[in-house]
Amino acid sequence: MQYILKYIKGDRVIWGVSTLLAIFSILVVYSSIVTLAYKYQGGNTEFYLLKHSIILLIGFGLMYFAHKLNYRYYSRMSQLALFLAVPLLLLTLLTGASINDASRWLVIPVINQTFQTSDLAKLALIMFLARMLSKRQDHIKDFNGAFVPIMIPVLLVCALILPANFSTAAMLFVTCLVLMFIGRINLAYIISLVSIGVVGLAIFIAIVMNSNVDSRVGTWKARIENFMDGGSQVNYQAEQSKIAIATGGVVGKGPGRSTQRNFLPQAYSDFIFATVIEEYGMIGGIFIVLLYLILFYRGILIARNAPRTFGSLLAVGLSFSLVFQALINMAVAVNLFPVTGQPLPMVSMGGTSIWFTCLAIGIILSVSRHNEEEETTQNKFSNG
Amino acid sequence: MNEVKKDIAWRVYLTYFAVCLFGLAIIVKAATIQLIEGPELREKVQSYTLKEKNIEAVRGNIYATDGSLLATSVPIYEVRFDPNSDAITDEIFYDEVDSLAFKLSELFQDKPMVAYRRSLVNARKEGQRYHLIKRKVKYTELKALKTFPIFRRGKYKGGLIYIQQNKRQRPFKVLAARTIGYEREGVSPVGLEGAYSEVLKGVDGKRMMQKISGGVWMPVGDDNEIEPEDGRDIYTTIDVNLQDVAESALLKQLQTHKADHGCVVLMEVKTGAIKAIANLKRNQDGSYYEGYNYAIGESTEPGSTFKLAALITALEDGFVDMEDMVDCGDGSKQYYDRTMFDSNHEDGGWGKITVQRIFEVSSNIGMAEIIQRSYAQEPQKFIDGLDEMGLRKPLGIEIAGEGKPYIKNTSDDSWSGISLAWMAHGYEVKQTPLQILTFYNAVANNGRMVKPKFVERITKGRKTVEEIETEVLVEEVCSQKTIDKVKLALEGVVENGTASNLRNADYKIAGKTGTAQIANRNYGYSYQSRVSHQASFVGYFPADDPQYSCIVVVNAPSQNVYYGNLVAGPIFKEVADKVYANSLEMHDPLQKQENYLASSPIPYSKHGNKYSIEKIFSELNIPVKSKAADADWIVTQTGDSSVTIAPREVQDKLVPNVVGMGLRDAVYLLENQGLQVAVEGRGMVKTQSIMPGRVAKRGMKIKLELS
Repeated sequence: MQYILKYIKGDRVIWGVSTLLAIFSILVVYSSIVTLAYKYQGGNTEFYLLKHSIILLIGFGLMYFAHKLNYRYYSRMSQLALFLAVPLLLLTLLTGASINDASRWLVIPVINQTFQTSDLAKLALIMFLARMLSKRQDHIKDFNGAFVPIMIPVLLVCALILPANFSTAAMLFVTCLVLMFIGRINLAYIISLVSIGVVGLAIFIAIVMNSNVDSRVGTWKARIENFMDGGSQVNYQAEQSKIAIATGGVVGKGPGRSTQRNFLPQAYSDFIFATVIEEYGMIGGIFIVLLYLILFYRGILIARNAPRTFGSLLAVGLSFSLVFQALINMAVAVNLFPVTGQPLPMVSMGGTSIWFTCLAIGIILSVSRHNEEEETTQNKFSNG
Repeated sequence: MNEVKKDIAWRVYLTYFAVCLFGLAIIVKAATIQLIEGPELREKVQSYTLKEKNIEAVRGNIYATDGSLLATSVPIYEVRFDPNSDAITDEIFYDEVDSLAFKLSELFQDKPMVAYRRSLVNARKEGQRYHLIKRKVKYTELKALKTFPIFRRGKYKGGLIYIQQNKRQRPFKVLAARTIGYEREGVSPVGLEGAYSEVLKGVDGKRMMQKISGGVWMPVGDDNEIEPEDGRDIYTTIDVNLQDVAESALLKQLQTHKADHGCVVLMEVKTGAIKAIANLKRNQDGSYYEGYNYAIGESTEPGSTFKLAALITALEDGFVDMEDMVDCGDGSKQYYDRTMFDSNHEDGGWGKITVQRIFEVSSNIGMAEIIQRSYAQEPQKFIDGLDEMGLRKPLGIEIAGEGKPYIKNTSDDSWSGISLAWMAHGYEVKQTPLQILTFYNAVANNGRMVKPKFVERITKGRKTVEEIETEVLVEEVCSQKTIDKVKLALEGVVENGTASNLRNADYKIAGKTGTAQIANRNYGYSYQSRVSHQASFVGYFPADDPQYSCIVVVNAPSQNVYYGNLVAGPIFKEVADKVYANSLEMHDPLQKQENYLASSPIPYSKHGNKYSIEKIFSELNIPVKSKAADADWIVTQTGDSSVTIAPREVQDKLVPNVVGMGLRDAVYLLENQGLQVAVEGRGMVKTQSIMPGRVAKRGMKIKLELS
């Protein structure tokens, strides 16, 4: 233990939270994988357990390397990543493999691994935003000097994600707005942008509701309709999810005792929070929510201690992005939001999601590691 | 820079506050789902994970008339085991698993004991609750299983779970297979199984099943929610012995003549009950099997057997009589562009003969002449005559797939100048073998046409639920005078006509041969000649008091012999001989039985209840002299012209005198006084073990001897 701790730097609480989430992930995924295992692997649940564990191990490896790197390098890298992400998004949109009728995935040649490009774009954009905001702090209230150059990449990336994955685009957009708010962009600009966005969304929904196009538009339409109708046309997924939550009780049915996993589609991903409550009860559910809130709180502490604005915004932006996505996923599971395809970061099964989550946490840890080092040098300086 | 940091800080805290609110909202929503919507949702769970599944009711049996099983459902079981039943402790399990494995291996002989032991132990370790022992287990095996270690602890404690399925079996295999039929999903039902499906199938029960991982359904609890109601049984009219004779006689003859197919139907004259119905079809390899119910389904031109219908029509309409002379010429006659032949046209034909003789020798030209002469002016009258005898209508039997009869009408497009002449000897009309038989049966039954009957009664357990009555199709196909005439003609066919090879000394057969030509396209390319033949014989026996009618049809005998008397006749004879040998009522009694008349015309009566006895005598119009004005119990004295009744003393608390009474009255009286009655013998009470007039004590035993 001591040996490991010696090599692990940065916020210990975040390391702890990540580890706890990973353990939860293995437990719940192993339990809820049954239907998938029966479908594709002849009942071999161990196959998925092994695969998931390996993915998590690789993720922690990524986290380790990310936190070893000086976070100032990420400023430049964000630019590169964004330049890489935009063409990739375009490519995905045009040729991507479709899973559940949404072309969000790109198959990486050679290793034949599906790869969700929006995850890369998301990370790149948030980092890039932190860079832009910190660089323009001197004239941040300026419209042409700050707001416009910052808005252009945001709109571009979101627009590219939108056709294939509405919820990710919307979520990323909100995350960026919050980050801009924190980064002291003129509130009036943000509010007017939100107003434009709301009107645009209204028009968009109106078009969707009145169209009779199949594919994704049809899915959105159905989902929105289902959520709005609520009682009358009962949404099967939401219903199953609610049953899982209702039967969980305070302490839950116990690990591996979920029965709803047989009926819940994507019990290992989109609705994993329902499975958590079913097996571990309200206590388990609250615990998961708290873990994410703690993660965000630690992110804020790191941001406050960071000597540079870039570090602060990077830590806040990434931790907010993760936690916001987690809360959206949980809100869907408890039927607070209409069904979207957002995985629960660190917990849901799925390679890309876990790896980018780990990278993000690694970057936050890198900021915190740098804070600690600076603190020790400062302490040395003041002492000596 | 400090200003900037402060500015950022409040924004961050505001965001954090919002995020915390969001998190709280999620928790509150989850709690609402649990607390407010919870009860309703938890109830819904049942409907998703539990389901009512049908339990198949046991299909009813099909019996032959003597009670032999023709079709039955044999239960087979899927046997499973709950090795983690609460009642099976480690101690019980590991103590007995060896002997259980040994017994299983010994019973099923399919896996060694160690293999059974391993799978049982693994099942327990893995926490299985529904471990498969074996599928398709027979009832006797299941009974043995219930006595095995662990299992024998009973329904709840032994962990043995079994699910019943049913398999249909025909113990007599091919025997009447098509008539018994089958019912399968996706195939239109065949035979009696199909016709009586509603009766046979019963009502399915219901059982709660729970879905467990892997999509397997496991029964919940040990009792069915709704017990299935088993199907009813049907008793057919089929006699297994006669069916066997019919089938083997048909098979032998078909093999001899290498015929394509054939059928035999035996029918009871009065009731229309089908005693035997055999259908055989030639396979590619030359063997025969029951592949199609030809007797019911195949509608063909019957040929000479139809001459009976033509003759009856002409007789009824008064155009001919049996003694009229008709010129049959030299054996061939031109009708427009077609030539009609008689069977002996090479020997110069029949010349001038009587109508009776025409029928006996089956002269085509003779029949054609009779009909042509009678109906040339108004052919429709002939058609109407046939119609009135019910020959145009299907019989409407319950078995699906009856062939449609066809009688050409004058209004039909194909009606031509030769139609009358050809219809007279059975062409340009179509009848199934069963329809022809029903018509001949009507003649045997003195004109009353009854519908062929396949099922006698429907029973539930041993109780009869429904008797199937004989249905009359046509009350009178023709006058009794005509019946008498054609009966003589039919007897003549066997006595000195085309079927004289069937004549025998024991009993008389009446019937008609038929040899029809059939276009060959029905039989494919294996038959080289342009036409093939359908040989038939239909008739009834004994001729003077008809009990049974029978038809034999053999299609496409491929050898040179194709005449009805030679191909179909022997089958008829064999079946008739067997029926005759089996039926006592057909034999003339060896000695005339004397009538033993009672010495007095007044019946003798037991003593007993006054009201019952008086009622019976008054129903029988027998005078009663009463000396017992208001007694309940009486003794009777039979006189020459009347019965005298006198009171029998019955007093409370005293043993009554029951001598001379029937058992019912005696037991009633004695048990009323609290006595226990033991009985020996049958008839009327002769002695009683306790003298009358003794004080009766509750529980006293009294023995009655009856004789």
